Amino acid sequence: MSSDSSPSSSISDGLADLNSDPQLVDKRFDLLSLNEPTELERNHPGNGNEIADGSLSPERNNNVAEDEDRLRVGDQRISGEEGLSSPSSSGYAGGRGSSSVTGPSRIGETGEIDDNEIQKLRNDGSLGGITGSYASWVPGKRHVDEDDASISWGKRKKHFFILSNSGKPIYSRYGDEHKLAGFTETLQAIISFVENGGDHVKLVKAGNHQVVFLVKGPIYIVCISCTEEPLESLKGQLEFIYGQLILILTKSINRCFEKNPKFDMTPLLGGTDVIFSSLFHLFSWNPATFLHAYTCLPLAYASRQAAGAILQDVANFGVLFAILMCKHKVISLVGAQKASLHPDDMLLLSNFVLSSESFRTSESLPICLPRYNPMAFLYAYVHFLDVNTYLMLLTTSSDAFYHLKECRIRIEVVLLNSNVLSEVQRSMIDGGMRVVDLPVDSLPRSGSSHLGKQRLTSDSPEMPRESFVGIGGPAGLWHFIYRSIYLDQYVSSEFSPPLNSLRQQKRLYRAYQRLYASMHDKGIGPHKTQFRRDENYVLLCWVTQDFEFYAAFDPLADKALAIKTCNRVCQWVKDVENEIFLQGASPFSW
Amino acid sequence: MASRRRMLLKVIILGDSGVGKTSLMNQYVNRKFSNQYKATIGADFLTKEVQFEDRLFTLQIWDTAGQERFQSLGVAFYRGADCCVLVHDVNVMKSFDNLNNWREEFLIQASPSDPENFPFVVLGNKVDVDGGNSRVVSEKKAKAWCASKGDIPYFETSAKEGFNVDAAFECIAKNALKNEPEEEIYLPETIDVASGGRAQRSTGCEC
Repeated sequence: MSSDSSPSSSISDGLADLNSDPQLVDKRFDLLSLNEPTELERNHPGNGNEIADGSLSPERNNNVAEDEDRLRVGDQRISGEEGLSSPSSSGYAGGRGSSSVTGPSRIGETGEIDDNEIQKLRNDGSLGGITGSYASWVPGKRHVDEDDASISWGKRKKHFFILSNSGKPIYSRYGDEHKLAGFTETLQAIISFVENGGDHVKLVKAGNHQVVFLVKGPIYIVCISCTEEPLESLKGQLEFIYGQLILILTKSINRCFEKNPKFDMTPLLGGTDVIFSSLFHLFSWNPATFLHAYTCLPLAYASRQAAGAILQDVANFGVLFAILMCKHKVISLVGAQKASLHPDDMLLLSNFVLSSESFRTSESLPICLPRYNPMAFLYAYVHFLDVNTYLMLLTTSSDAFYHLKECRIRIEVVLLNSNVLSEVQRSMIDGGMRVVDLPVDSLPRSGSSHLGKQRLTSDSPEMPRESFVGIGGPAGLWHFIYRSIYLDQYVSSEFSPPLNSLRQQKRLYRAYQRLYASMHDKGIGPHKTQFRRDENYVLLCWVTQDFEFYAAFDPLADKALAIKTCNRVCQWVKDVENEIFLQGASPFSW
Repeated sequence: MASRRRMLLKVIILGDSGVGKTSLMNQYVNRKFSNQYKATIGADFLTKEVQFEDRLFTLQIWDTAGQERFQSLGVAFYRGADCCVLVHDVNVMKSFDNLNNWREEFLIQASPSDPENFPFVVLGNKVDVDGGNSRVVSEKKAKAWCASKGDIPYFETSAKEGFNVDAAFECIAKNALKNEPEEEIYLPETIDVASGGRAQRSTGCEC
C-alpha cells in the first residue's frame, strides 16, 4: 500500500465513493443475496451446504463451549476410571472382549453426546471465566492416560493424530499413542482402502464430527473435530502441523521411511509435546493461522527503521534472516539478498522458539523452514532480550555460533541506545489500535498520523449524529482485522468490552474463520463484500486487490452506519500504516 | 511421546477363513472395534500389550480377511509389519497346505528388506476338537514344514485353553527384539552455501 496516493485509488469498487450517497450504499449491499437473514433458515447443520455458503446456523447454541479441552458431558462424571476403565500400563485386562456399550470412540455414534447439556468442568488448566488472558492455558500434553476406550477421550472436541503409512501412531493430541495403536491402524486402513480404489479420502462427516485427512508421503495427519470449523480451516491446521514436524525434522525424514517401512519416528520427536500443544492453541486465537500473514508490533516509524537498519547490517554478513520479535509480533525482519520468509514459516518458527524451553537455555539449534527449503536444516541463533522480546538469526553455516553471538551483542547495544527496547515494552502494554479510538472524520489526512492521538469528542463539528448501540466503538464496532495483501501483514484491533473474555474472543475468532472461508470458497467464491447479521454479531467483510477487511459489530448495528464505519477504519489504517506495518519488507512471490 | 522402552510391533494374522483366528484373537487381545470392519475394509484391528524381559510391547494386530477382493490391499496392510502369524486348523489339511501360499503372498506384498529372516510364527489351532481324533495335521508334519522355512516357531493352540497364544506373542516380541535395527542417527542435509541455498519453492504438497 503506497502512502501517498489518495484513498479512493487504493480502495477498489469505490466503496469510499458511496460514502456520500447512503442510498447507493444500501443498494450495493442489497445486491448481495448471500447472507440476508431470511436465507439463514435454509441452512441446517448436516445438510452439507453449510460449508459451501458458510452461513451461520440460526440454531447455533450460544452455550457451545468453544474451548476444546472442556469436556461436554451429560450426566456422567468425567473419570477415566468410571465403568470401562483406562487400562493400566501393564496391559489391558484380558477378556474384555467387545468394546463398551457407549463406544465413544466409534465415529458416528455421537447420539449420546447431547449438545444442549453442556456443563463446564474444571480440568487442570481450565479456562473458565478468565478475562482476556492467555496465561491460564497450560502448555504441554494433557490427559496422557486416556485411550480410545475412555469416555473422556471420546468427548474431546478436537483430536489431532499423526501416524505413519503403516498405521503406527506417532503423535496424538490426547491420550497415550501406544494405547491408540488400534485406532491409528483403523485410520490408516481407511486411507489405504480408499487409495486402493484409486481415490483419496479427504473428509468424512459423521453426525457432528468431521474427520479430515491429510496425506504427506509416508506421514498421515488426521483431525477429528466437532467444532464445526470449516473444512478449509481444519485442512490448513493439518498443514501447519505437518509444517511444524518438518521444522523440527526436515523432509528428509521421508527417506527413513523409504529405507525402512517399520521406521519409528516417535523417538525423534521426544520432548516436542509442548511445541505441538502450543501450536494447537494458536489455532484458536491467532488469525495468522487462516490469514497466512504476519502482524507487527505497533512502533514509531523511526524506531522500526533503527531496528531494521541494524538487522540489515548483520544480514549483510553471513546471516540469512534476522528477525526481531515480541511474542508473536514482528518488530523488524530482514532477509539477506532479498531472501524472503513466508508468514507460515514465521508462525511455526516463533511457535517453536516461544514454546520450547530449549531456546531459553541453549542459544543455537538446527531448524528447517518448510517453505524456504524443506529438505535441509538451517541454524537458528536465538536470544531473548527481555521476557517477551527475542532476536532470531538464521544461517546456513553450522559453525557460525560465535559470529552470531557477536552480531547479537552489536544489535542489542544499538537497540538499547536507540531506546527501541523501551518503546517495544511500552507498545506491548499499550500500543495497538482500539475501536474506541477510531478518528471522527474520514477525510484524508496529509502527513503522518499517530495511533492513540485521536479521541472521539462529542463537540466535534464533524461527528455524525449516530446513536451508539451498546458499548464498543462507533456504530457498535467491536473488533476488526485489516490485512494488507501486498505486505502480507495484518493488523487486528485490541480486544475491549464487550469482547473481554477468552470465550468471546475465541467465538469471534471462529466467526472470522468462517467468514474468511466463505469469502474464499472455491466453489462459489471469491466474493468482494459480505454483510451478515446473526444473534451474536454483525459481520462485515470486504476484499479488494489491495486488502481484506473483517469487522464485527454489535448485532443490532445499523447496516449503513456499519459500512461507513468500515470505510473510516480502512482510512485510519492507511493513515497510521507507518506505525503498524513493516514497510519495505520483501514482497512474497509464492 | 512414547519412551524408548516401549515398542510398537505391527503383527499380521493370515490364514484361511474358518481356522479360528478370530476366536483366538477375540479371547486374548483387547478388541476395540467390532468385526464389521472386516467385511468392508478387510481387516479387524486389535491391540495387545505384552511384557517381555523389562520391555513393554504393544502389538498392533491386523486380523485380515482372506477374501480375494481384499488381495490388492495387501501392500498397504502389510506395510511396516514386524511379524506375520500364519494360522491353520489342524483338522483341515487344506488350511495347512495353504500356509505356503499365505507365506509367499505375504513376502511378495510386504517385500521386507530381509525376506529370509523375516519373523513368522505358525499356530496350529483347534487341537482340542473331538478329543484330537479328527486331527489330520500332525505336530511332526507341521514342525517339519516350519523347520524347512527357516525355523519358524510353531505353537499348538486352542481357543478353549489358549495359554499358548500368550507364549506365541511373547515369541513374537522376542524375535522382534532380535531383529531390532541399529538405531541410526538421523542426519538430514544442511543447505549448501555455495549453491545459494535456495531450493525450489514449495508449492504445497510435494508427496
